[in-house]
Amino acid sequence: MTYLLICVPFLLASTVVAVISLRRMPAGTRARRVLALAIGAAILLVLTAVFDTVMIAAGLFGYAEGTRLGATIGLAPVEDFAYPIAAVLLVPAVWTLVASRRRGSHDPGSARPTAPAPAGSSS
Amino acid sequence: MTGFAYLAALLVSIGAMALVDARWRLAFWRHPLAAACAVGAGTALLLVWDVVGIGFGVFYRGDSVWATGVLLAPELPIEEPVFLAFLCYLSLVVVLGVERLLASRHQIDDSAQAESRTGSSAGPADRGADAAPEVRA
Repeated sequence: MTYLLICVPFLLASTVVAVISLRRMPAGTRARRVLALAIGAAILLVLTAVFDTVMIAAGLFGYAEGTRLGATIGLAPVEDFAYPIAAVLLVPAVWTLVASRRRGSHDPGSARPTAPAPAGSSS
Repeated sequence: MTGFAYLAALLVSIGAMALVDARWRLAFWRHPLAAACAVGAGTALLLVWDVVGIGFGVFYRGDSVWATGVLLAPELPIEEPVFLAFLCYLSLVVVLGVERLLASRHQIDDSAQAESRTGSSAGPADRGADAAPEVRA
Protein backbone atom coordinates (compact mmCIF):
# COMPACT_ATOMS: atom_id res chain seq x y z
CA MET A 1 0.00 0.00 0.00
CA THR A 2 2.84 2.42 0.80
CA TYR A 3 3.90 2.81 -2.82
CA LEU A 4 0.32 3.43 -4.00
CA LEU A 5 -0.26 6.10 -1.34
CA ILE A 6 2.98 7.85 -2.34
CA CYS A 7 1.68 8.05 -5.93
CA VAL A 8 -1.56 9.85 -5.00
CA PRO A 9 -0.30 13.41 -4.31
CA PHE A 10 1.93 13.41 -7.41
CA LEU A 11 -0.88 12.19 -9.66
CA LEU A 12 -3.20 14.81 -8.16
CA ALA A 13 -0.69 17.63 -8.72
CA SER A 14 -0.21 16.57 -12.35
CA THR A 15 -3.96 16.35 -12.89
CA VAL A 16 -4.49 19.85 -11.50
CA VAL A 17 -1.91 21.35 -13.90
CA ALA A 18 -3.43 19.40 -16.82
CA VAL A 19 -6.93 20.69 -16.00
CA ILE A 20 -5.67 24.29 -15.70
CA SER A 21 -4.03 24.11 -19.14
CA LEU A 22 -7.08 22.46 -20.71
CA ARG A 23 -9.46 25.07 -19.33
CA ARG A 24 -7.47 27.83 -20.99
CA MET A 25 -7.80 26.28 -24.45
CA PRO A 26 -10.52 27.05 -26.97
CA ALA A 27 -12.98 24.14 -27.29
CA GLY A 28 -11.61 22.67 -30.55
CA THR A 29 -7.99 22.74 -29.37
CA ARG A 30 -9.04 21.23 -26.04
CA ALA A 31 -10.87 18.30 -27.64
CA ARG A 32 -7.84 17.53 -29.78
CA ARG A 33 -5.48 17.75 -26.79
CA VAL A 34 -7.65 15.41 -24.71
CA LEU A 35 -7.57 12.84 -27.52
CA ALA A 36 -3.80 13.30 -27.93
CA LEU A 37 -3.34 12.79 -24.16
CA ALA A 38 -5.39 9.57 -24.24
CA ILE A 39 -3.47 8.16 -27.21
CA GLY A 40 -0.15 9.37 -25.77
CA ALA A 41 -0.92 7.75 -22.40
CA ALA A 42 -1.76 4.45 -24.11
CA ILE A 43 1.56 4.51 -26.00
CA LEU A 44 3.51 5.38 -22.84
CA LEU A 45 1.79 2.62 -20.83
CA VAL A 46 2.74 -0.03 -23.40
CA LEU A 47 6.34 1.24 -23.50
CA THR A 48 6.45 1.23 -19.69
CA ALA A 49 5.23 -2.38 -19.53
CA VAL A 50 8.01 -3.42 -21.92
CA PHE A 51 10.93 -1.29 -20.75
CA ASP A 52 10.18 -1.35 -17.02
CA THR A 53 10.23 -5.13 -17.27
CA VAL A 54 13.56 -5.02 -19.11
CA MET A 55 15.04 -2.59 -16.56
CA ILE A 56 13.90 -4.67 -13.58
CA ALA A 57 15.17 -7.86 -15.25
CA ALA A 58 18.53 -6.11 -15.78
CA GLY A 59 18.69 -5.54 -12.03
CA LEU A 60 18.79 -1.74 -12.29
CA PHE A 61 16.44 -1.34 -9.34
CA GLY A 62 14.21 -3.31 -7.04
CA TYR A 63 11.33 -2.91 -4.63
CA ALA A 64 11.19 -3.67 -0.94
CA GLU A 65 8.83 -6.44 0.17
CA GLY A 66 5.49 -5.38 1.62
CA THR A 67 5.33 -1.90 0.08
CA ARG A 68 3.53 -2.87 -3.13
CA LEU A 69 0.04 -4.08 -3.96
CA GLY A 70 1.64 -7.10 -5.60
CA ALA A 71 -0.01 -6.97 -9.03
CA THR A 72 2.43 -6.66 -11.92
CA ILE A 73 2.33 -6.33 -15.70
CA GLY A 74 5.34 -8.20 -16.93
CA LEU A 75 7.72 -7.54 -14.06
CA ALA A 76 6.48 -3.97 -13.61
CA PRO A 77 4.45 -3.29 -10.46
CA VAL A 78 1.14 -1.61 -11.35
CA GLU A 79 2.12 1.43 -9.25
CA ASP A 80 5.00 2.13 -11.66
CA PHE A 81 2.47 3.03 -14.33
CA ALA A 82 1.61 6.15 -12.34
CA TYR A 83 4.91 7.69 -13.48
CA PRO A 84 4.14 7.81 -17.23
CA ILE A 85 0.55 8.90 -16.49
CA ALA A 86 1.81 11.81 -14.39
CA ALA A 87 4.38 12.71 -17.07
CA VAL A 88 1.74 12.72 -19.83
CA LEU A 89 -0.56 14.90 -17.71
CA LEU A 90 2.04 17.37 -16.45
CA VAL A 91 4.68 17.88 -19.15
CA PRO A 92 2.56 18.85 -22.20
CA ALA A 93 0.39 20.98 -19.88
CA VAL A 94 3.39 23.02 -18.70
CA TRP A 95 4.60 23.30 -22.30
CA THR A 96 1.25 24.73 -23.39
CA LEU A 97 0.95 27.09 -20.41
CA VAL A 98 4.40 28.59 -21.09
CA ALA A 99 4.03 28.62 -24.89
CA SER A 100 0.60 30.24 -24.89
CA ARG A 101 1.68 32.82 -22.32
CA ARG A 102 4.38 33.99 -24.74
CA ARG A 103 2.16 33.67 -27.77
CA GLY A 104 -0.62 35.56 -26.00
CA SER A 105 1.32 38.83 -26.21
CA HIS A 106 1.50 38.53 -30.02
CA ASP A 107 -1.88 37.05 -30.71
CA PRO A 108 -4.54 37.39 -28.02
CA GLY A 109 -6.92 35.30 -30.10
CA SER A 110 -4.97 32.05 -29.79
CA ALA A 111 -4.69 31.99 -26.01
CA ARG A 112 -7.72 33.49 -24.39
CA PRO A 113 -6.68 35.47 -21.31
CA THR A 114 -8.81 34.82 -18.23
CA ALA A 115 -9.36 38.51 -17.52
CA PRO A 116 -10.83 40.75 -20.20
CA ALA A 117 -8.60 43.36 -21.83
CA PRO A 118 -7.97 46.62 -19.89
CA ALA A 119 -11.09 48.59 -20.94
CA GLY A 120 -12.18 50.37 -17.72
CA SER A 121 -9.68 48.71 -15.40
CA SER A 122 -10.80 48.70 -11.81
CA SER A 123 -8.07 49.45 -9.31
CA MET B 1 32.84 -0.81 -19.50
CA THR B 2 29.39 -2.42 -19.28
CA GLY B 3 28.79 -0.10 -16.35
CA PHE B 4 28.04 2.69 -18.78
CA ALA B 5 25.57 0.69 -20.88
CA TYR B 6 22.40 1.99 -19.19
CA LEU B 7 23.54 5.61 -19.14
CA ALA B 8 24.69 5.38 -22.76
CA ALA B 9 21.35 3.82 -23.80
CA LEU B 10 19.50 6.68 -22.11
CA LEU B 11 21.63 9.34 -23.79
CA VAL B 12 21.25 7.70 -27.22
CA SER B 13 17.47 7.55 -26.65
CA ILE B 14 17.39 11.24 -25.72
CA GLY B 15 19.41 12.01 -28.85
CA ALA B 16 16.99 10.02 -31.01
CA MET B 17 14.08 11.86 -29.41
CA ALA B 18 15.79 15.17 -30.24
CA LEU B 19 16.08 14.10 -33.89
CA VAL B 20 12.33 13.42 -34.01
CA ASP B 21 11.72 16.74 -32.27
CA ALA B 22 13.94 18.63 -34.73
CA ARG B 23 12.56 16.90 -37.80
CA TRP B 24 8.93 17.76 -37.02
CA ARG B 25 9.55 20.84 -34.84
CA LEU B 26 7.44 19.50 -32.01
CA ALA B 27 8.83 20.74 -28.69
CA PHE B 28 12.30 22.31 -28.24
CA TRP B 29 12.38 23.20 -31.94
CA ARG B 30 8.98 24.89 -31.70
CA HIS B 31 9.17 26.70 -28.38
CA PRO B 32 12.49 26.09 -26.57
CA LEU B 33 11.56 27.95 -23.38
CA ALA B 34 8.26 26.09 -23.01
CA ALA B 35 9.97 22.74 -23.67
CA ALA B 36 12.72 23.46 -21.13
CA CYS B 37 10.19 24.50 -18.48
CA ALA B 38 8.01 21.45 -19.20
CA VAL B 39 10.80 18.84 -19.13
CA GLY B 40 12.39 20.58 -16.13
CA ALA B 41 9.16 20.67 -14.12
CA GLY B 42 8.33 17.06 -15.02
CA THR B 43 11.79 15.78 -14.12
CA ALA B 44 11.71 17.68 -10.82
CA LEU B 45 8.32 16.25 -9.86
CA LEU B 46 9.29 12.67 -10.71
CA LEU B 47 12.61 13.07 -8.90
CA VAL B 48 10.86 14.26 -5.73
CA TRP B 49 8.51 11.28 -6.14
CA ASP B 50 11.55 8.96 -6.28
CA VAL B 51 13.13 10.56 -3.23
CA VAL B 52 9.89 10.16 -1.27
CA GLY B 53 9.71 6.50 -2.39
CA ILE B 54 13.30 5.94 -1.32
CA GLY B 55 12.54 7.68 1.98
CA PHE B 56 9.70 5.26 2.65
CA GLY B 57 11.93 2.34 1.69
CA VAL B 58 9.93 1.38 -1.41
CA PHE B 59 12.80 1.43 -3.94
CA TYR B 60 16.37 0.36 -3.75
CA ARG B 61 19.13 0.48 -6.27
CA GLY B 62 20.00 -2.85 -7.85
CA ASP B 63 23.61 -3.97 -8.17
CA SER B 64 23.38 -4.14 -11.92
CA VAL B 65 26.44 -4.65 -14.10
CA TRP B 66 24.81 -2.21 -16.55
CA ALA B 67 24.84 0.75 -14.15
CA THR B 68 27.77 2.98 -13.27
CA GLY B 69 27.17 2.60 -9.54
CA VAL B 70 27.65 6.34 -9.08
CA LEU B 71 25.09 7.66 -6.58
CA LEU B 72 23.68 11.17 -6.21
CA ALA B 73 22.15 10.22 -2.85
CA PRO B 74 21.60 6.93 -1.03
CA GLU B 75 19.77 4.52 -3.42
CA LEU B 76 19.56 7.28 -6.09
CA PRO B 77 21.87 6.46 -9.01
CA ILE B 78 23.14 9.14 -11.38
CA GLU B 79 21.15 7.46 -14.18
CA GLU B 80 17.80 8.15 -12.51
CA PRO B 81 17.38 11.88 -13.32
CA VAL B 82 18.55 11.14 -16.88
CA PHE B 83 15.90 8.45 -17.16
CA LEU B 84 13.22 10.76 -15.74
CA ALA B 85 14.18 13.57 -18.13
CA PHE B 86 13.95 11.07 -21.00
CA LEU B 87 10.50 9.93 -19.84
CA CYS B 88 9.31 13.56 -19.70
CA TYR B 89 10.79 14.42 -23.10
CA LEU B 90 9.21 11.28 -24.58
CA SER B 91 5.81 12.21 -23.12
CA LEU B 92 6.07 15.70 -24.59
CA VAL B 93 7.12 14.55 -28.05
CA VAL B 94 4.49 11.79 -28.16
CA VAL B 95 1.59 14.03 -27.08
CA LEU B 96 2.57 16.98 -29.30
CA GLY B 97 3.30 14.58 -32.18
CA VAL B 98 -0.08 12.86 -31.89
CA GLU B 99 -1.69 16.28 -31.64
CA ARG B 100 0.05 17.32 -34.87
CA LEU B 101 -1.21 14.18 -36.61
CA LEU B 102 -4.76 14.81 -35.40
CA ALA B 103 -4.58 18.45 -36.50
CA SER B 104 -3.34 17.60 -39.99
CA ARG B 105 -6.15 15.07 -40.38
CA HIS B 106 -8.98 17.24 -39.17
CA GLN B 107 -7.69 20.59 -40.41
CA ILE B 108 -9.07 22.50 -37.48
CA ASP B 109 -9.14 26.18 -38.48
CA ASP B 110 -8.53 27.22 -34.92
CA SER B 111 -4.98 25.87 -34.75
CA ALA B 112 -4.14 26.78 -38.35
CA GLN B 113 -4.80 30.42 -37.46
CA ALA B 114 -2.79 30.27 -34.27
CA GLU B 115 0.15 28.51 -35.92
CA SER B 116 0.39 30.79 -38.94
CA ARG B 117 0.30 33.86 -36.72
CA THR B 118 3.28 32.70 -34.67
CA GLY B 119 5.57 32.63 -37.67
CA SER B 120 7.44 30.32 -39.95
CA SER B 121 8.49 27.75 -37.35
CA ALA B 122 5.24 25.84 -37.29
CA GLY B 123 6.07 22.87 -39.50
CA PRO B 124 4.64 20.75 -42.30
CA ALA B 125 1.00 21.65 -41.63
CA ASP B 126 1.81 25.26 -42.44
CA ARG B 127 3.80 24.48 -45.53
CA GLY B 128 0.66 22.91 -46.89
CA ALA B 129 -1.19 26.14 -46.26
CA ASP B 130 1.55 28.18 -47.94
CA ALA B 131 1.39 26.01 -51.02
CA ALA B 132 -2.38 26.27 -51.27
CA PRO B 133 -2.85 29.74 -52.87
CA GLU B 134 -1.56 28.68 -56.26
CA VAL B 135 -4.41 26.21 -56.60
CA ARG B 136 -7.15 28.82 -56.51
CA ALA B 137 -6.40 31.72 -58.81
